[in-house]
Amino acid sequence: MSSSLEKNMLILRSSDGEEFIVPEVVAVMSKAIKNMVEDECASNTIPVPNVDANILAMVIEFCKKHDESEAEAASDLKTFDSEFVNRGQEALYDLITAANFRDVKELLDALCQNVAEMIKGKSVHHIRIQFLGYQLFEILTSNFIWNIWCDRDFD
Amino acid sequence: MEARCDFLQWLQMDMSLNIFMSLDDPSDLIRASAVSPSWHHFVTANGLCKQLCLRLFPQLSSVSFVTEPSCGLKKSADVGSSNSVEWEALEMEHRAYAFLVRALTTFTPKDCIAEAISASSTDNFPEESIQNTLDPRDRVLRRASYWSSKGQSDPSVPETLIYKVTGNLCVITEISVQPFLAYFQPGFPIYSAQSVRFRMGHPRSPEDVESDPRNLPLQHPADDKFIWTYTSQEFPMTQENYLQKFQLPEPVICIGGFLQIELLGRVQRQEMDGLFYICVSYVEVMGQSLFPAFDVKNLEPSGKLLLKYNPEVQHCASPISSYRQPLATSANMLHDNLRGLELLLNMLHGNAPDHEHNDWDDDDDNDNDLDLVPM
Repeated sequence: MSSSLEKNMLILRSSDGEEFIVPEVVAVMSKAIKNMVEDECASNTIPVPNVDANILAMVIEFCKKHDESEAEAASDLKTFDSEFVNRGQEALYDLITAANFRDVKELLDALCQNVAEMIKGKSVHHIRIQFLGYQLFEILTSNFIWNIWCDRDFD
Repeated sequence: MEARCDFLQWLQMDMSLNIFMSLDDPSDLIRASAVSPSWHHFVTANGLCKQLCLRLFPQLSSVSFVTEPSCGLKKSADVGSSNSVEWEALEMEHRAYAFLVRALTTFTPKDCIAEAISASSTDNFPEESIQNTLDPRDRVLRRASYWSSKGQSDPSVPETLIYKVTGNLCVITEISVQPFLAYFQPGFPIYSAQSVRFRMGHPRSPEDVESDPRNLPLQHPADDKFIWTYTSQEFPMTQENYLQKFQLPEPVICIGGFLQIELLGRVQRQEMDGLFYICVSYVEVMGQSLFPAFDVKNLEPSGKLLLKYNPEVQHCASPISSYRQPLATSANMLHDNLRGLELLLNMLHGNAPDHEHNDWDDDDDNDNDLDLVPM
């Protein structure tokens, strides 16, 4: 397979063994991969441990879009970003971990910003429901003394 | 229903940090710190409130921060381990900065001049004292109320007015200056300046604060007695007799409590002597004092500034809104009374400005002059 691989293409192998053929320019948006390529310690197939196929596919989708759309309007990219990061929390966190591990700064920033948006302008109560769920919340309130000053002054 | 999960438990610490650092509104960060013990611990242990505060107000990074030793560390005594002492300190710092950053970003600006300190020059003292600029009226007790500089043949000579604002830590958003229209002079000249600039700072030596900034002579320049830590841009002023508002690009913390108004460039020549003057009838400084929850002290001998946080005041309800008004009001009333008394005394002593004190208007021998105030 690698023999038929075009020049400037890399193969990324996810933790669960799936392989993705990706243009080098896209792959090196991950600083971690870029370093490997630059140090020439990478063969054509680069293992991406800790990131499963599902998440890796998403990361690649993001990088491809950002690579292609360099010439495109920034607003289009913004729209894409906001749709891209609009996912369930689990997927978001997995993506953050992957983006951090692979060192894809743009993706990481967009994702963290997205989580932050879930907090911005929300009441303490709302944030608890969003991130902790009701039951935990009920246990918490029993001995959570600083509610008293926080809620009074800042809610 | 979608699974809800706490990113603090899922993500590596620096990722969570990244998320919390994306919160640039203090209210969001403070609310987040109240979500759960682990969130609270995270925000506190990483000093996120302090970081946000310094990010929003970089001026504060030059100030050391302390809390009053009497409070905050009480609980640690019975626990006894150094860790918990450290933690108590972090907790206190968190609360102090949470309170500070919140106070600095959410308030309704009010006039916060406490008193006039000094003018770089005064043509006639006390008739044309800087004290007059605290009164919005341009006539008090049938006399003109304004400050006038000395006359200069060079229109580029600047003047400065120095004021004390309420408290030693005050956030200021807007400064207004009303140039004086000399309604008793022919042609009603307006003695405005070309532009204004503002500086904020603290006394150079600690003695100046503690002893008596109030006793600095009002009519003598005092600019060298202060260290100005903030200088605004230059704002153009128009030659019109209304309260001209100069909004600072962003709220500025006046650390030390002193404000200087620099009046740059003279535009009006006085007909009688051909000299350029600057006259101001009223000055207003809009902002919010953080006293008594916060105070700034000059440290001897280093001259370093110390920001003091007094949590007890915070807890006895809203220090932001209630404490200031009575203070300011009584100060103003005192000023009014003193000023009235001063004028009365002057008149009784026959010191009302008249010809005898004027060295220029020899050919002006009209009786009406008694009503005129020399510039």
